[in-house]
Parts: sequence; C-alpha cells; structure tokens
Amino acid sequence: MNDSDVSRQIDQMVRFIRQEAEEKASEISVSAEEEFNIEKLQLVEAEKKKIRQEYERKEKQVEIRKKIEYSMQLNASRIKVLQAQDDVVNSMKEAASKELLSVSNHHHLSLTHHGHVYRNLLKDLIVQSLLRLKEPSVLLRCRENDLHLVEHVLASAAQEYADKENVHLPEIIVDNNVFLPPAPSHHNIHELHCSGGVVLASRDGKIVFENTLDARLDVLFRNKLPEIRKQLFGQVAA
Amino acid sequence: MDSFKGQEGIQMLLTAEQEAQHIVLSARNLRTQRLKQAKEEAEREASQYKSHMEDEYQKSLLESSGSSGSNVKRLDEETEDKINNLKQSASKVSNEVVDMLLKHVTNIKV
Repeated sequence: MNDSDVSRQIDQMVRFIRQEAEEKASEISVSAEEEFNIEKLQLVEAEKKKIRQEYERKEKQVEIRKKIEYSMQLNASRIKVLQAQDDVVNSMKEAASKELLSVSNHHHLSLTHHGHVYRNLLKDLIVQSLLRLKEPSVLLRCRENDLHLVEHVLASAAQEYADKENVHLPEIIVDNNVFLPPAPSHHNIHELHCSGGVVLASRDGKIVFENTLDARLDVLFRNKLPEIRKQLFGQVAA
Repeated sequence: MDSFKGQEGIQMLLTAEQEAQHIVLSARNLRTQRLKQAKEEAEREASQYKSHMEDEYQKSLLESSGSSGSNVKRLDEETEDKINNLKQSASKVSNEVVDMLLKHVTNIKV
C-alpha cells in the first residue's frame, strides 16, 4: 500500500468512528426523550392521584362536620321547645298554687260566706283522711291560723267518719304545739309555707297522710299532666 | 518517513476514538439531565395542580359555611315561632286549666 491508500483508509476509519459515535449519541438522545416523557407523565399522574384522594377526604370530613353540626342544632332546638313547654305548664301550676290562697284565706273576705266554705273544706279533708288511715286514734296537725276552724268541725268530722265506716268514734289528737307552716307571703316566699288543709297520722306516727291543699295540688297536677299537655300541645310530640 | 506517517495515522485514530467517546458521553449526560428535568417538571405540575385543588376546596368551604349559617338562622326562627305559638295557645287555656285544678283540689270525694 502506498501512502495515499493508507491515508484514505485512515480517513475512512476516522469517519466511521465518528459516524458510529453520532449514531449512538442520537439513539441515546431519542430514548432519553421517550424516557423523559414517560417518567414525567407517571410522576405527575401518581402525584395528582394522591392529591385528588387527599382533597376527597377533606371534602368528606367537611360534609360530616356539617351534618353533625346541623343535628346538634336540631337537638338544641328541640330541647328549647321542650323546655318552653315545661315552663308554660309549670307556670300554670304556679298560678294555681297562688289561687289556693284565696281558698283558705278566710280573714280578708266576708267571714260568714268565705269562712264557711273553707271550714267545710277542712271538715271534708279530715273525713277523707280518716277514711284513708282507718285508724282508731290519729294525730292531726294544721296551721295555727286554722286551729279554731278545725276545732269547730272536729266533732262532726269524727261522727261522719264513724257513721260511714260503721266504727266507733276515732280519737283525734290535735297538735297544739307544732303547727303547719303559715300561708305564703312576701316574707316567706322561699321558706316552707302551707296554703291550708291538714296532715293526719296514725298514733305511732308511722303512717302519714298529707291532705294539705299544696300536697293535693302536687298529686293532682302530676296526674293531670298528660291531659294538660295534650290539651296545650295537641299532637306535637312530647 | 514510513513510521512517521504511521504514527500520524494512529494518532488520528486515537483522537477520533477519543472524540467518539466524548460524543457518546455527552449524550449520556444529557439523558441523565433530562431525567432530572422530568422529576422537576413533574413536581412543578403537581404543585400547580395542588394549589388549584386547594383554591377549589377553599371556595367550597366558603359556600358551605354560608349556607349552613343561613340554615341555622332558619332553624332558630322556626324554633322562636314554635315557642311563641306555644305561649299563645297556653295563655288562651291557662285560666281554664287553673280553674280545673282548683276545682279538683277543693272537691273532695269522700
């Protein structure tokens, strides 16, 4: 081979080497682009999915919180209404309680008319108590102010009981030392008071029958409560 | 003369080989860089998406708090109405009820 042949061969080889390198570089470049796209897409989609899930969860929590808040509000409202119902009914009892006074207040009105009504009431209360206790000997307690009225009707009450039950006259011992508390007034609003009536007990004090106007109102009120509520609130769920 | 020419030739080949390696290496480096770019761009797109979702979320929060506020108000008004009706119908029958109670208290069935 002469010089120019060698030279040409070398040139060819150089060109070949360069060509190969550039082809390889180009392959690498193309596959790099593909990989870039795939990698980027995968990463983005994965992240987006995570983010979407996170926000779905957040929204759900908000929903739940709203629901809880609303049902709490609803409950609070219901309780308010129930409380108002209660208040209304109780204020009626209060009003009735105040009216009791006019029943037993025999000092300020005409003594003859009003006094007799209350006096007769006391008699009936005593008879009823005797009938409930069915004891031959009883203790009786009344308000200090009512003492004279009680003493007035005691005998006829005892007789009425004895006749009804066909027994001997009962022994009724009136307590002259301890009395029922006095009528309610501005002074004793928060202390014990009694609007009238009597309390009877068996001799040994073990069986007690409270027949005061206040006790009667309490029992009556409790018994009539369903009826009163129905009348007031109709079909409203209680 | 011959050996010199030979040297030159070999030198050229070696140089060409070096350059070739250089070319391929560059391409490989570019590819590595490209992959890094993929991560960076993906992160950027993802955080854009996230801030978009966050905006939507905040908007929906505002809407819902507005509507729940008005719900509460409506509920309160309804309750007030109920209670007022209650009080009205109670005051209508109050006297009747009190009279009834008194009658029973003072009416003793022996």
